[in-house]
Amino acid sequence: MTDQSHQRIHISAQFSRELEGVRDDVLTMGGTVESQITKALDALLDGNSELAEQVIALDSNVNELERSISDQCMRILALRQPAAGDLRLVLAVIKVTTDLERIGDEAAKMGRQAVLLSEIGVQEKIAAQVRDVAVRSITMVKNALDSFARLEVGDALSVILSDDDTDEAYANAREWLLLFAEENPASLRVAMSYLWILKGLERIGDHAANIAEQVIFLTEGVDVRHLDSQNTRDLLS
Amino acid sequence: MDQQSKNDIALSIRDLSLSYQGNPSALKSISVDIPRHSVTAIIGASGCGKSSLLRCLNRMNDLIDGVQYSGEVLLEEMNVLSAETNVTALRRRVGMVFQRPNPFPKSVFDNVAYGLKLSGVKSQRHREELVEKALRSAALWDEVQYRLDESALQLSQGQQQRLVIARAIALEPDILLLDEPASSLDPISTLRLEELIYELKQTLTIIIVTHNMQQAARVSDFTAFMNQGHLVEFGPTDTIFTRPSMRETEDYITGRYG
Amino acid sequence: MLATTRTAFLQRTRWQRLRSLTMISVSASMVTATLLLTLGLFALLFISAMEWIFWIGEGGSADVASRLRDIALARPGLESSVIGLVPAIVGTVALVMLMTLFVAPLGVATALYLSEYARDTWYTQLIRISITNLAGVPAVIYGVFGLGFFVYGLGGQVDQLFFSDRLPSPTFGTPGLLWAALTLALVNLPVVIVAVTEGLDALPEDLRQASAALGATKNETVFYAVLPAAMPSVFTGLILSTARAAGEVAPLMLVGAVKFAPSLPVMTTAPFIGLEQKFMHLGFQLFDAALFSTVPPGGIGWVATIALTLVILIALLNIVAMSLRSVILRRQAVDSPF
Repeated sequence: MTDQSHQRIHISAQFSRELEGVRDDVLTMGGTVESQITKALDALLDGNSELAEQVIALDSNVNELERSISDQCMRILALRQPAAGDLRLVLAVIKVTTDLERIGDEAAKMGRQAVLLSEIGVQEKIAAQVRDVAVRSITMVKNALDSFARLEVGDALSVILSDDDTDEAYANAREWLLLFAEENPASLRVAMSYLWILKGLERIGDHAANIAEQVIFLTEGVDVRHLDSQNTRDLLS
Repeated sequence: MDQQSKNDIALSIRDLSLSYQGNPSALKSISVDIPRHSVTAIIGASGCGKSSLLRCLNRMNDLIDGVQYSGEVLLEEMNVLSAETNVTALRRRVGMVFQRPNPFPKSVFDNVAYGLKLSGVKSQRHREELVEKALRSAALWDEVQYRLDESALQLSQGQQQRLVIARAIALEPDILLLDEPASSLDPISTLRLEELIYELKQTLTIIIVTHNMQQAARVSDFTAFMNQGHLVEFGPTDTIFTRPSMRETEDYITGRYG
Repeated sequence: MLATTRTAFLQRTRWQRLRSLTMISVSASMVTATLLLTLGLFALLFISAMEWIFWIGEGGSADVASRLRDIALARPGLESSVIGLVPAIVGTVALVMLMTLFVAPLGVATALYLSEYARDTWYTQLIRISITNLAGVPAVIYGVFGLGFFVYGLGGQVDQLFFSDRLPSPTFGTPGLLWAALTLALVNLPVVIVAVTEGLDALPEDLRQASAALGATKNETVFYAVLPAAMPSVFTGLILSTARAAGEVAPLMLVGAVKFAPSLPVMTTAPFIGLEQKFMHLGFQLFDAALFSTVPPGGIGWVATIALTLVILIALLNIVAMSLRSVILRRQAVDSPF
């Protein structure tokens, strides 16, 4: 019901354009962040320090977008006093941009680690472990952003539910990395770098789940934060 | 309905329909319970029937030719719409304040004392007490205590509107109906009025019709949204303004094409 | 502001400018002409009256004091045609007061009925139109009606019922103050009704709703809210009718005004007012003086004196009514038009 009403235009067409503008900026920001983490992963796996530098450079774009979006939201709140679906959109956008900015930060951190690791050379075995977690996290971000763009509750819900799998993959990779470090004490420094990266990827997954929660709040008006997956499903059915 | 919840209901509207010449279905089968000691806002586009609904509650619609009601409005045991109802007694229990401040061209004191005189408060001393009490309740006493003999029309618009409220609450009604009370006031007077509404709901039940949705959101505990004579949605104000359940309500409060 | 008006003025076409200049100068000269005429009339009245009042000479009074007393209180025979002004002033005031006593309640009641109680149908519309038209009927026709209905009809009945011992000489069956006042009340009734009705119609509907919402019945609303608010228009009606009553001559000739009445229609002992008495009236005196009297030293002096007195009397009556009205307006805090 509510998702359609976002296509219904306000009597003040200017207000509709303002809301549309904010949504578009969020999607642009999402696209930037998404390409940041994809590039960070590639830089890491290929040992491409040039690409890694690009990732770090993109972070200022993301920060700039975050600032601009929160400015717009503040203006809409002050001047338009949005209600109901519009109000939830603005609130959701504020939270989503915070999560996106954090994802951007994590990607930049990954980029810095990738620069360091590129000097040492790629450890194929470890890279495989990282890739497993990274693919899951990146998919979550992609799906969360898609659900925001299309306001699909089902998609958002599956993003939230897939967070458990990502956490599990992270735990496995971490265990594997600890064993690796015990066996190769000489590579402890490298192992630490990868642990940082893994932790960052896990955080990215959490942020993606937060975004999906905001999509559910936006479309259904229910707050599913801090609920376990069973309760979330019950609330939505 | 058990005893407890019955005590919490100030006014019970059951299947109320209204028609008059030129509008055969001004109100269509409206049912709602107005909670006691709360502010209920009725919102909706012009001509949706919100003022007609308000005017049913103290039978002000009787002044229009050819009005026909069906259904019932229960004020405790009194059926407001019944032909046997003593309209004078009803209107003393259900006060009303109109869109434009409409004090009589009399002194401030005589304005507030008007209803008291009609309801048979004979002693001047008793009247003085009641007038002061009403003016204090309407947060006007400090401003007019030395101007009681001046004409009410000398007061500012905002003061006039509070005077009119004092005039109504001097009769100690159970319910106060406000028909767009702030539509002719400046923003500061409007805020004063809203503050007054908040104070007054401690002692009586207020039903307010307003075009200003932000005002409805600010002052009311419950909101009823009406469209084309129907009651579309009734619920706690914060629910209506953050996650209304009906599409029509959402479209109206977010300002979309209906 | 001025600058824009100026520019707008200059931007108009030559023809438009010419036309508006013509309009302005024509209306300005009309206003000036009217003012000059009125002033001239008053100056003429005033000068002629003063000249006549202070004339002392051959065949006249000995000094100014006795001259003034003669003008105020003279009786016929004392001086050829001069009949004192004071009895006429008293007669006029008594007539106006008595008439107001009749016309005010009747007019207000009718207006209240038409405006507050009667349903708005073609019938009440017809009544309203008829009343407005009655205001245009010449007063002398009311005089004829008064003579026929009040004097001969009602007066005759009263005499038969209460004063049969005095018949055949009539008591109320002859022109007198009461019948004159009633006749003038009829003349002015439409004026009062129209003024009050308009006042009532102009009152905001809010006022009636406010009263009803406080639990007032229809009658309570009309008498405690509507009528007090309409008092200024009641006074407007009375001001209009006062001026008319004091200045009217034609109907009074038929129903009670005389050139000379041996006693005043008011007295210091009960019943204080002689309802059946004939009375003197400034308007009638003016009419009589203009046509039938020659007073030394001739000219229009005597006529101008009566006219000036009448004008001043009407002005005084109006000032009293207007100040009453402005007191009410001030109490209601409605801006006074004066």
